[in-house]
Amino acid sequence: MKITGTNNSLSMKRSAASTVFAASMIAAAFCGSVVTATTSAQAETAVPAACADLQAKYPDLKGKTLVNAVNPHTPGYEAIDPEDPTKYIGFDIDLGEAIGDCLGFDLTYKAVTFAALLTTLQAGQADIVISDIYATVDRAKAADFITYLKVYDGVLVAKGNPKGIDGINTSLCGAVAAENTGYVEVPLIEALAAECEKIGKPAPEIQLYDNNANCIQAILSGRADTYINDVNTVDGAVEAYPDKLEKATAVTLPYSVGIAVPRNNVEFRDAVMAALTEIQKSGLQVELMKKWNLPEDQLETPKLVLAE
Amino acid sequence: MDLFFHYLSQPYLVTGIVYTVLITFFGLLGGGILGIVLAGMQLSRFRALSVFARIYAVIFRGTPLILQMIFCYNALPMIGIKLTALEAASLALALNEAPFIAEIIRANIIAVDRGQVSAGQALGMTPTVTMIRIVVPQAFRTMVPALGNEAVSALKNSSLASVVSVQELTLRSTQLASATFDFFSIFFASGLMYLVLAGSIAIIQIVVEIMLDLDHPDPKARFARLLPWYRTPLPVEAEAAEEEDATATPLPPASRKAIAPLDRRKRAQAIAASRPAVEIENLTKSYDGRKVLDGLDLTVRLGEVVALLGPSGSGKSTLLRCINRLESWESGTIRTLGRQLGVDENGLKLTPAAIANARAAVRVGMVFQNFNLFGHLSARENIAGPLRWVQNASQKEADRRADELLERVGLTHRADALPRHMSGGQQQRVAIARALAPNPAVLLLDEPTSALDPELVNEVLEVIRRLAVEDGLTMLISTHQISFAKDVADRAIFLADGSIVEQGPADKMLSEPSNPRTRQFLQIMKEDAELV
Repeated sequence: MKITGTNNSLSMKRSAASTVFAASMIAAAFCGSVVTATTSAQAETAVPAACADLQAKYPDLKGKTLVNAVNPHTPGYEAIDPEDPTKYIGFDIDLGEAIGDCLGFDLTYKAVTFAALLTTLQAGQADIVISDIYATVDRAKAADFITYLKVYDGVLVAKGNPKGIDGINTSLCGAVAAENTGYVEVPLIEALAAECEKIGKPAPEIQLYDNNANCIQAILSGRADTYINDVNTVDGAVEAYPDKLEKATAVTLPYSVGIAVPRNNVEFRDAVMAALTEIQKSGLQVELMKKWNLPEDQLETPKLVLAE
Repeated sequence: MDLFFHYLSQPYLVTGIVYTVLITFFGLLGGGILGIVLAGMQLSRFRALSVFARIYAVIFRGTPLILQMIFCYNALPMIGIKLTALEAASLALALNEAPFIAEIIRANIIAVDRGQVSAGQALGMTPTVTMIRIVVPQAFRTMVPALGNEAVSALKNSSLASVVSVQELTLRSTQLASATFDFFSIFFASGLMYLVLAGSIAIIQIVVEIMLDLDHPDPKARFARLLPWYRTPLPVEAEAAEEEDATATPLPPASRKAIAPLDRRKRAQAIAASRPAVEIENLTKSYDGRKVLDGLDLTVRLGEVVALLGPSGSGKSTLLRCINRLESWESGTIRTLGRQLGVDENGLKLTPAAIANARAAVRVGMVFQNFNLFGHLSARENIAGPLRWVQNASQKEADRRADELLERVGLTHRADALPRHMSGGQQQRVAIARALAPNPAVLLLDEPTSALDPELVNEVLEVIRRLAVEDGLTMLISTHQISFAKDVADRAIFLADGSIVEQGPADKMLSEPSNPRTRQFLQIMKEDAELV
């Protein structure tokens, strides 16, 4: 898969929109492959030594190519590389590749909407989901989660914070929040309705979109007052529009970010968890977090989040 | 602006087009094939098939494409069918397009003049041949604009494949926008790409329309028509035809036999001695409980010319259509040259195709009130085509026969004209030539001059008169032309309320009718003629 992707982009450079390219696209499409991207090069990070033992323990995974479903609209975690859009880049991508390197499998990527991440996994159209998804007990009904990061949310608002929003609290009463379908923030904001009523204010309104870009646009165009999401995503948006956006505050949520794997495939889950543990032990995860400007204290020791 | 051009030429977006085009192509291809099947089922005479097709249309037209995409992608794996994203999206688009395309096909097939289908049937074409040779070529021409619309709509709908992770243009645009925050340049660039794709479909549509345009045989005009400001000129030929008809095209000089006055006694003797051509016994037929034919008995002998007279609704047309089995009836039998059309030797009902073959074998020709020429075929091809398709004549043979018959009806110079460029009189003469082409034993003429302008009536009547006199052809003519009937027919029959009121030698009966109803009818016809 990696090789296909590279060849495509090379032939493209040689003769733009050449028929050879189109033919190879069609051929590849018919072979049933997802012709997209592969990943950023991983060569700079060494594989932890203990991984050899894990490969011996889980020989079935070795040499396989697995599909990682991502919602590539979160720069810093997963997004296409603006320099080479055939590649996905970000912390989640690097972490997934590191787990793959440790266990000896390759990854290809399938881009879906946020709400479709777990359904894609359930339908067997993907093998694993590493896409900045918060591990909640509700979501654990659809997949088993292995956590790897703590959750810090940022509150994105228009420059100057005209509505004075300062967290997921009554400051949101009467405000319009843009969120993605399926985000954990949605029920938290919805739950404010009762509190707002108590103090005689209108409930917050939620606009649902299906990717970060649309949520950020909603604030830029004045349709929404705030977008509450992962703090690093919010920082990225402020960096892109320093004159128009700002981060009002950061809040902690009682969740962790997790890797989703199919339910009832305990062996695969154990293998991923063991690899993640080794990657953390060897310091590789911290290294990757530094590379993508994530604060170190966000790291979380792997634990399972399963359905009750 | 720089960014706009950067994204416009970016290979990542450009290759997204490949997926967009692939999904659109497979969606339309699959939808087209499935649409043909569904349209066929809806038009089928088997009720179960049409009910099934309707249920399919209700389901797939009534649910959003986005759900169908998700279903094909995420639900089919549960029953063991795991399609790739591209396959699932193409399948969903095909399933969704099929009922829309089916309706376009069905509407345009229904819109093809029913009279032409009757004419095809009367010439002995099987339903399949009629469909392929007559209906489809005309329906396809009219369905091109609607299909073009559908193709553009499918192109835009392909963007929904982004929900099932197909890397098509829309998905790539949104991903790129997420990574770069350059929303507007990216969406303007991909919008322009969609416009170019939709524009290409429009160009294909225009080219197809021009290639199928029968009014533009001139190759220069074909290209000129591509220009948006080009307007189709009024067909010059049609005007020419109008002018020409004011003076009426002359028939070839009549033979001596045709000029000589009829020797009625001699004809009557010959007819009495010949064998029956059409035998009708106790024929009964009703429409919605109203009897149109009520126990009718009639025998027509070979060589006899019978004029059917009677007020509208008296059953004249129905009787003629029954003889050719274009209509079915409740009880009674019709034998043509000793053979029953529509049932086999054991009296079992035949399929439409078998009836068509029997019609061709018995050789009953029919001429319709509204000519019913095949609108997409030239005069020559209207005659030669059926000879090739039904009688299996060679191209050369069929063309020779067509030219010979066109000469006989005085229309050699109009051989290459389309029906719509000919006058009514010319069209009816071509229709008569077409009916004569397979050498029919019996010719049925259903009010052949009723749809004609008065000044064109005579040229057609003259052609029919010569057939009676020169060829000794057996003919049943329903007509309101009393003097023509008196002049040409051997026997006149007055029909009212589905049964024969009076019949007798034409000259005698039409001059001195004995039945009061006949008398009254003839009186009215006479007064009308005087008014004109």
